[in-house]
Amino acid sequence: MKIETTGRHFREAYRGIMKNSWMSFAAMGTVAVTLLIFGVFLIFAFNINYLTKELDKQLAVRASLQDGTPAAKQVEILNKLKQNPLVKTADLVPKDKGLEEMKKSWGDANFIEGLKSGDQNPLPDIIRLEPKDPKKVKQLEAEAKKISGIVAADSGGGVTQTLLGFSGVVRNVILIFGLALSVLAAFLISNTIKLTIIARRKEIEVMRLVGASNWFIRWPFFIEGAFIGITGAILPIGILLILYQAFYNTINSGAAYTVIQMMPVTSLGSYLAVSTFILGAIIGIFGSVLSVRKFLKI
Amino acid sequence: MESFREIPDYLSLVIGKIANDKRCAKTEGDFMIEMHDVWKVYPNGIEALRGIDVKVDQGEFVYIVGPSGAGKSSFIKLMYREEKPTHGVVLINGVNVKRVRDWKIPYVRRRIGVVFQDYKLLPHLSAYENVAFAMEAVETPKREMRPRVQEVLELVGLGDRMKALPSQLSGGEQQRVSIARAIVNNPTFIIADEPTGNLDPENSWDIMYLLEEINARGTTVVMATHNKEIVNTMRQRVIAIEQGVIVRDELEGEYGYED
Ligand SMILES: Nc1ncnc2c1ncn2[C@@H]1O[C@H](COP(=O)(O)OP(=O)(O)OP(=O)(O)O)[C@@H](O)[C@H]1O
Ligand SMILES: [Mg+2]
Repeated sequence: MKIETTGRHFREAYRGIMKNSWMSFAAMGTVAVTLLIFGVFLIFAFNINYLTKELDKQLAVRASLQDGTPAAKQVEILNKLKQNPLVKTADLVPKDKGLEEMKKSWGDANFIEGLKSGDQNPLPDIIRLEPKDPKKVKQLEAEAKKISGIVAADSGGGVTQTLLGFSGVVRNVILIFGLALSVLAAFLISNTIKLTIIARRKEIEVMRLVGASNWFIRWPFFIEGAFIGITGAILPIGILLILYQAFYNTINSGAAYTVIQMMPVTSLGSYLAVSTFILGAIIGIFGSVLSVRKFLKI
Repeated sequence: MESFREIPDYLSLVIGKIANDKRCAKTEGDFMIEMHDVWKVYPNGIEALRGIDVKVDQGEFVYIVGPSGAGKSSFIKLMYREEKPTHGVVLINGVNVKRVRDWKIPYVRRRIGVVFQDYKLLPHLSAYENVAFAMEAVETPKREMRPRVQEVLELVGLGDRMKALPSQLSGGEQQRVSIARAIVNNPTFIIADEPTGNLDPENSWDIMYLLEEINARGTTVVMATHNKEIVNTMRQRVIAIEQGVIVRDELEGEYGYED
């Protein structure tokens, strides 16, 4: 396709949109609502994905050693665990260090200080085990428990696992809504394109008579559909990013310890924008294809 | 010397025969338009054409005549592949149109100019733009368009009305714009379905002179018409169709109907 022709196709597409400006506007609005819902879905999906990865990264079995185990025995147990094929790394965390870490991650130092009543550190010495395969963490937990000298082994994360399962359900419900709406949006776009095709009946007839290629005739309609789809994507992207930023700030502000770790706006933003744009374009082009196939006889 | 007076008649007979032999000597696919046992049956069961055999050579001027409903327009629609033959073979410039893939049909049409009774001009475009539209549609570079559009509009005698909208032009002028549009992409032949059908006698003659001039420049013209006076005056090849069958095909024919 020549550059001159491309320019012409864009001009024609623009003319089509301006001719049915109200229909085009309505179609853009529907696309915007659809993509807003899809965007929420995407935010859930991206975050669940992110969270799962982060959790996997942090996933560790904390094997508590019996209180008062001598240092030599502790090293023996550590070495035994290091040889286990399920273990990636194994580290000894003495109770003092454990308390330090806890202070750091909880932020609320006074609360921890309170725990430390009369220099009595309530924490046990532990061995931190990082599994080779995050999926086999339960198996590792069970094997660690069997070793004598270890009183308890826990991989934690029960709450986050439940949360993940719940957000998975929410995500799927949103997805179904989004899909239903995108079908609606595509139909609205196809209806808009249909109006353009009808308005251009005579031109299309002449183009066919003089031998315009099929693609020459179709291009402006595809561009028109894609344009409606992409324009409809701009507003929801803006809204979603602003809301997400606000939500992110609320969740992460204050010193509260949170189980929910949200994906940072900077990395989510580009994913979200690109996927939403692409979705908008797909909905738009799909709408044009519907119309062109049905009403544009070549 | 009685026999001398017969010589001109004899000569014309011989010349006619030579012309005919030349046409017959050509092999299949050499003609501009060729139809072999072509039938057109519409979905409603009407048999518009029933076993058409015809050959049109380059440079010919052919009138298609016949009563209303005889199948003239159907015959013409087969030539620019608006309709497919139900049965039989249609060769356009040596190409079997039934075998042409749908996406290639536009390229077949580019070599054909089509003219209609109702002009089919775009009302919001000027005479110039209407003609340029046909060049743009086949992706001609812009810089080639301007001189060519001007050239053909001057050829049809509208060099000074290029900016006029169709609504500002007479019927005859509008038909001339549509002829300019039909020839602007240099087609090998022009098909016209009753091009003078909406015009008064004077304008009809202007259109005919124009088509004749285009024909004289080497473009084949096939034209369906009900205009008895024109056919009888021009003395060109006449193909008469009745009820979907060719009943007459004469090199210097007459209209042959009273209507
Ligand atoms: N698209 C169509 N579908 C069904 N029947 C058709 C169609 N087009 C033409 N016909 C029928 O085919 C027959 C031939 O029609 P056609 O238009 O070819 O005649 P014509 O010779 O051009 O007539 P006229 O001189 O009135 O223009 C007619 O009986 C007509 O009703
Ligand atoms: Mg007709």
